[in-house]
Amino acid sequence: MKNPAPQPSRPRIRYVSPRFQGPAVLAFAAIISIGGAIFWKLVDSEFQRVFLDAAIRGHYTFDSAYDIVRALLASHLAGLFAGVFLAGSVLVLFLIAATRHGISKAVDSLRSSADGDLSTPTGAGLIGEVDRFGRKIDAARSDTLASVLKIRSEVEALAAGGIPPGEFRLRWDDLKQRIREIAP
Amino acid sequence: MSGPETNPPPPLIDRRYIFGLLFRLCANFAGGVAILFVILYFALSRPLPWDYAGVSHALRNLAPFLRPVLAVSVLVYALLACGSTAALCVYILHKVAGPLYRMDLVLDQYRSGAPTRTVSFRNGDQIQPVAQAFNQWIGTLRRDRHRWLATMKDAERHCLQDEATCRAKMEDGLRKVAEDIKRYH
Repeated sequence: MKNPAPQPSRPRIRYVSPRFQGPAVLAFAAIISIGGAIFWKLVDSEFQRVFLDAAIRGHYTFDSAYDIVRALLASHLAGLFAGVFLAGSVLVLFLIAATRHGISKAVDSLRSSADGDLSTPTGAGLIGEVDRFGRKIDAARSDTLASVLKIRSEVEALAAGGIPPGEFRLRWDDLKQRIREIAP
Repeated sequence: MSGPETNPPPPLIDRRYIFGLLFRLCANFAGGVAILFVILYFALSRPLPWDYAGVSHALRNLAPFLRPVLAVSVLVYALLACGSTAALCVYILHKVAGPLYRMDLVLDQYRSGAPTRTVSFRNGDQIQPVAQAFNQWIGTLRRDRHRWLATMKDAERHCLQDEATCRAKMEDGLRKVAEDIKRYH
């Protein structure tokens, strides 16, 4: 019986990027915590007032404390949901807008690189991870520009003439090798 | 007569993705508030005593009694909502974080001088134009490289003739390459 050939291990795709998802998670946690704290403060002070009022009124037509605070609780829970959801939505829209801005800068930078502009900085800004990505693109473009400029100066030196045939041939072959190394 | 129709480039971030994120967030927060409501409902819906004095006494002491209950229920809400929102963030935002990570690897590979393959993202991933723009750049670099090498090889063919013609053609080819390379700045 043949043993199956061992499968080459595929690199795992990492889904969590702490620099990108981490700040978003922290911002949402802050919104939820602030919303919860405001809800607690408001409802606690309302409870102090409402139950005392009900006790003083002396006309008890309810079976439980819930009957007294039903409307109050409903309105505060609705307020908590609306407040947290609205703040969360604003955060999502900000995150999307900032990511879109940074990534569109990176795309523009790559497109202008295809047109020969390898020196204008990407400037992806705003979100740390996207900014880092923009700087990485700039580094790749900068490496490419350095190689191309080296090739260009060598090409111009060789084209200028006055080099002995033996040396010319060596430098010609070396130049071809350097050109082959661009975007292998 | 109209020219050939080209598909518009995909958006950086799909509108459906944004609405999906907002909808899930809405469901998540609604779930959190529902849990908070259930906790408070069970805490508040205990029947009050039947007699008048008992009710009066219970109502006067209810607010201080409910204070820790309220605090714990809000804490439970905050923990559950934070946990589920964190999971949601990681799950949803990996559609952006994943491609960024992949592009990171590709750029590292490119800078190390290893052969660069055409980049494509998973289905449903956002920021697809990044891969297209990168492939376009690498494609242009490769076309230029082939053209320069072809120009040099073309000049080398003249080396079958005399030395002077060979050298002249090589220098001529180099001038063409130098002119072509000037577009990079």
